Amino acid sequence: MHKIGTITTREYKATVKTKGFLVGLVLAPILMCGSLIAIKISEKTQDVSDKRIAILDRSGVLSAAIMDAAQQRNKKETINEEGKKIKPAYVIEVVEPETEDPMVQRMRLSDRVRQGQLHAFLEIEEAVVHPRQNPERCRVSYYAKNAAMDDVRTWIGWPINNQLRKLRLADAGIAESDVPDLFSSVYVEGKGLVSMDEKTGQVQPAKRASELEQIIPPIMSVMLMFLLIMMGASPLISSVMEEKNQRIAEVVLGSVRPFDFMAGKVLGGVAIALTASAVYIAGGILLAIRVNWAEYIPWHLLPWFFTYLILAIVMMGAVFAALGSACNDAKDAQSMTLPAMLPMMIPMFTLVPILKEPEGSFATVLSFFPPCTPTVMMMRQATPEGIPLWQPIAGLMGVLVFAALAVWIGGRIFRVAILIQGTPPKWSNLIRWALRG
Amino acid sequence: MNAVKLTDVTKRFGQVVAVDNLSLDVPRGSIYGFIGPNGSGKTTTLRMIMNIFYPDSGRIEVLGGPLHGTCTDRVGYLPEERGLYKRMGVRDLLKFYGRLKSGRNVSRQVDSWLERFDLADWGKKKVETLSKGMSQKVQFIAAVVAEPELIVLDEPFTGLDPVNADVIREAILEMQQQGRTVILSTHDMNVAEQMCDFIFMIFKGKKVLDGTLASIQDQYGSNVLRIGPENGHLLVAEDVEGVESVRDFGQTQEIRIKPGADPQKVLADIMRQIRLKSFEIAKPSLHDIFVQIAGPKAREDSHA
Repeated sequence: MHKIGTITTREYKATVKTKGFLVGLVLAPILMCGSLIAIKISEKTQDVSDKRIAILDRSGVLSAAIMDAAQQRNKKETINEEGKKIKPAYVIEVVEPETEDPMVQRMRLSDRVRQGQLHAFLEIEEAVVHPRQNPERCRVSYYAKNAAMDDVRTWIGWPINNQLRKLRLADAGIAESDVPDLFSSVYVEGKGLVSMDEKTGQVQPAKRASELEQIIPPIMSVMLMFLLIMMGASPLISSVMEEKNQRIAEVVLGSVRPFDFMAGKVLGGVAIALTASAVYIAGGILLAIRVNWAEYIPWHLLPWFFTYLILAIVMMGAVFAALGSACNDAKDAQSMTLPAMLPMMIPMFTLVPILKEPEGSFATVLSFFPPCTPTVMMMRQATPEGIPLWQPIAGLMGVLVFAALAVWIGGRIFRVAILIQGTPPKWSNLIRWALRG
Repeated sequence: MNAVKLTDVTKRFGQVVAVDNLSLDVPRGSIYGFIGPNGSGKTTTLRMIMNIFYPDSGRIEVLGGPLHGTCTDRVGYLPEERGLYKRMGVRDLLKFYGRLKSGRNVSRQVDSWLERFDLADWGKKKVETLSKGMSQKVQFIAAVVAEPELIVLDEPFTGLDPVNADVIREAILEMQQQGRTVILSTHDMNVAEQMCDFIFMIFKGKKVLDGTLASIQDQYGSNVLRIGPENGHLLVAEDVEGVESVRDFGQTQEIRIKPGADPQKVLADIMRQIRLKSFEIAKPSLHDIFVQIAGPKAREDSHA
């Protein structure tokens, strides 16, 4: 046992004493949350130059309302209290429809957009007020370079529909003042479930559903779990490959059994991941307390998190170590890394459907697939309502069995492959070594 | 008493028989030389003694008992291909290897060996900064730092200059004087002749020589003439009757006599043709025996 400890200690020191580990410790969460940071930065550096939009109103009844709405918006929203421009103003240019082929006018306007004279142009067909009378001529089309993601397109629907309602009321002979609430919309407030206080037995009112509570803990848990598995388990593939290539493995195997060698390396990975997780979780808790989000810290999940983390590193570490032992060079290691990482990446690709329906059949089934259990089960547990207790317990049992199997099979492959030079790491070879040992 | 005993050991890799029914006794306290051409099964045999490879059949006993995990703590190993963690400090690396072997007083041993090998100033440096010769010495220390009873050295002198080779040789001989057993695999026949109490040769997985140098030479008879022609490089001996082959070393020639031929008569015939400044009727060198067993002619014969 002390030999496993010696290898674990060396593995741990060799990693955490490097500058790369410290830099990675800081950079990894930044890179993982890169998209969020990029969105925040892009919000702050938004282009505030005016956006000129041409309106080609074949109905002749909407352009004036759009222009009024744009002027009101420009007054209210584009300048902050300090007098600084914070949003672009929308400048509306009304274009008279020409009698020639509509495609020619569209082409001309499109060229103006391309030349930068216009941000976009809007074409309103003549039957837009009463679409049932002429369904073929009632469309409103927005032409722009990036129409699908354009803020103006999202905004412009409101003044158009508002004016259409007014026109339809007038046509029906109803005065707008007779139905003052007609344009009032209601907000659907999200609530959690009513619960009972276990101590007092009193029914507790439902809390207002907070996006922060619903999204941040599950996303943070899955991101952190993935990051730590990447830090603790995936480097084993290249580290073992290097030891094999540089003939270090032969020297070490003169002193320890192959299984102990592998176990020492995997436990080194566990120690590295636990160190990093301690830093991240302690940092996260301190930050949450500082910004008054302490109520959102899911304390009850921490034991589950560390249990899953240790088992995930053991499980994936054994797989990565076995694959590393079969590789002869960096190219082999690269080709092996992606397929081995795929099971861990599935939860990253399925974040949204799992968050929307944490108790749905897709999320439930995926959380019982052992390579995904540590991430998906954690994510489901971290949602505000959580999941029945039997599910994480059953998931944990599955991970335990799978981890034991991974270590056993990994050990058999490792024992044979670590001393074989020049044999390519084919899957057929790996299966043969796993079966025959 | 034997430090290592192999009984009918066979190891196959697929269809290739790397070691074929090998039996061997390595007496305690001896230096046992392993020789043989590349790919003949030397390293496979050493790896089986180290418990790195497991034999397909046969039995291996090391230091009086069957081979198992803890037994390897009493065996030091210097593999042919050097394996050192390049980014580790020299002292930390040696302590690591010492602890893996459950060595006692590892720190003191490390300092003592570094001092002895003139590497004390390099203790804190990373392995990647060492020269090839220094790395070789560090690898040697890694093999002996835990004070093993049996030391297995695969090509310990490769890449060393004569001064460093002497340092290693003295260390090996000192360990033998302390009663430890050394198995030494080498391609240098002079090293085998000068240092080894026993020599074992393996060829195509089979044992072809095993014994003391004298007993091996006796097996191959006194059929070698070493002559030094007065005019130096002069190849005349090949045409003389009774000569099987000639190895020309420039200033001297080594002549192997055909079986049954009289060395005195061959020498007399040569002296009739040229003047000699020196001559000697000698036993065959280990090199000569090696070439007889594993040289091109022997390979041709074995293929035929």
